[in-house]
Amino acid sequence: MVAVVLSTQAQGPPRVSDLLLPGENWQLVGEGYKFTEGPATDGDGIVYFTDIPNNRIHRIEKDGKVSVFAENTGGANGLMFGGDGLLYACQNGKKRIVAYDKNANEKIIAEDLESNDLVVSHAGDIYVTDPTNKQVWHINTKREKKVVDKGLGFPNGVRLTPDQGLLLVADSRSQYVYSYHIEPDGSLSSKQAFFQLIIPDGKTDSGADGMTFDRKANLYVTTHLGVQVCDQAGRVFTVLPKPQNKWLANVVFGGPEMNYLYLTCSDKIYRRKMNAKGVLSFQPPFLPPQPRL
Amino acid sequence: MNPRKSFDTLAPSHKNGDMIPLSIRAVTISILVFFGFSSVTRAADDYQPGPDSLTHEGVPRGEMKQFSWKSKIFPGTERQYWVYVPAQYSESKPACLMVFQDGGGYVSRDGGFRVPNVFDNLIHKKEMPVTIGVFINPGVVPAASTNQHSRFNRSFEYDTLSDQYARFLLEEILPEVSKNYRLTSDPEGRAVCGGSSGGICAFTVAWERPDQFRKVISFIGSFVNLRGGHLYPSIVRKTEPKPLKVFLQDGSNDQDIYAGSWFIGNQDLAAALKFAGYDYQFVIGDGGHSGKHGTAILPDALRWLWRDYVAK
Repeated sequence: MVAVVLSTQAQGPPRVSDLLLPGENWQLVGEGYKFTEGPATDGDGIVYFTDIPNNRIHRIEKDGKVSVFAENTGGANGLMFGGDGLLYACQNGKKRIVAYDKNANEKIIAEDLESNDLVVSHAGDIYVTDPTNKQVWHINTKREKKVVDKGLGFPNGVRLTPDQGLLLVADSRSQYVYSYHIEPDGSLSSKQAFFQLIIPDGKTDSGADGMTFDRKANLYVTTHLGVQVCDQAGRVFTVLPKPQNKWLANVVFGGPEMNYLYLTCSDKIYRRKMNAKGVLSFQPPFLPPQPRL
Repeated sequence: MNPRKSFDTLAPSHKNGDMIPLSIRAVTISILVFFGFSSVTRAADDYQPGPDSLTHEGVPRGEMKQFSWKSKIFPGTERQYWVYVPAQYSESKPACLMVFQDGGGYVSRDGGFRVPNVFDNLIHKKEMPVTIGVFINPGVVPAASTNQHSRFNRSFEYDTLSDQYARFLLEEILPEVSKNYRLTSDPEGRAVCGGSSGGICAFTVAWERPDQFRKVISFIGSFVNLRGGHLYPSIVRKTEPKPLKVFLQDGSNDQDIYAGSWFIGNQDLAAALKFAGYDYQFVIGDGGHSGKHGTAILPDALRWLWRDYVAK
């Protein structure tokens, strides 16, 4: 095993500069919102996001202008596209999950559940975090819902690894993003506090909220400290400070080449060109590079 | 430079409270390196296994058996482990114990650390006690399909500063080993060894459970911030001292990455062990993040580690 370690080290461990491009920094995309969340990217790289208190879903057009995609969105929070082209949304104001078509017509996917964020797999399985009840829901392709985890302090962001073998759930109240093995029936096993985040002085938790992956299976987590990027073995190797000192809620890659990192940070939304490309979970899973240990 | 000889010179045995100041140690090393280069042409990290790492006629050979284990403490993980039983083992007397992280790198007789040869030779010469070796690989949560990665638990298990790995040994693996062999309950007779993250894991096991393990060998140990290991030097300085014996080795060309500098981390821990009055040994080489120096000095490290026990 030592030999394995040595051979992988020869490829060079990751570092901050791997992800950054010279001269690139955060650019303001939009402002004047009450609380931005739920950034989600469609197959063309177009990014949508929610303004929760204003009950709106916005869309960032190709020219960079922000338009209104839907109104009266029922407190919609987390968003995610499915393989069917629909935009899935956590309508926590109405205790349901809905999906919008391109014309913003909504249909109900599941009812009677609290929700914060969600992920839709390539196969159409949905996982939903329910921080109010400290649990995680699985909604199968028959739209049957079931609680598949309990006990995290505040289950918040939820994402699938690029190969869709593991589910990751950010616990805002702890130092960790939890990793779960996904069983064939969609249930979860092998729960572990796998990704260890940095907690700034003066806080008792990481404030982990939204998450996204790049194609090398690095995990980007929004926290009190900024965006913390973890390697596959669960270790932070990059911290990108927040563009403004307000709650940093969520993160996603978008743009035609999937190389812009979008951040929802309270009243504003930002983007930054990265030396990395994002992963969309509705697209076919793929095997990322072998993890360095 | 003969690694055995240089090791003996660099790392003389010393009793608790009689430690060589690091500054003097560093000077000694630079002198030795200087003379080493002036007398013999030697590339950095050119360490070779010595005679104690080879097989010898007339030395009884221990037996190595392989097992597998599914853990509950590390849920869903599967792994291989090996048990070495020396020829001198007898049910009439409990054996000492030594656990190795990344076990698969230590079990071969003709590659890696060659621990079976080293144990055979040193036990035969009564330079270490009759010791059962337990060599454990890190856990893997197997992937559901070939299109997916398994979850590799190595860094989680080894780099985490908690008692979880110690509990895994005490509640899962060692009870299994004890079904077939008698292991001593004397913590002075129980050691843990590893390299890199396996090295910090060895320290963590003894640190968390000095009632169970009091002997540690760490080669190129990851006392850096992979998962908080950079904190050990300050924790060691501030914590009521524990009855541990710690052998550290690192190379001046060890890696320097986002998690920290391995060489500085090891120097920092060695300085903390000295400050807090530990019985410790720190051997500095010129290698990188490699097991070569550790392989070359393993027999000497074991002699130092077990010197109190063979005298009993």
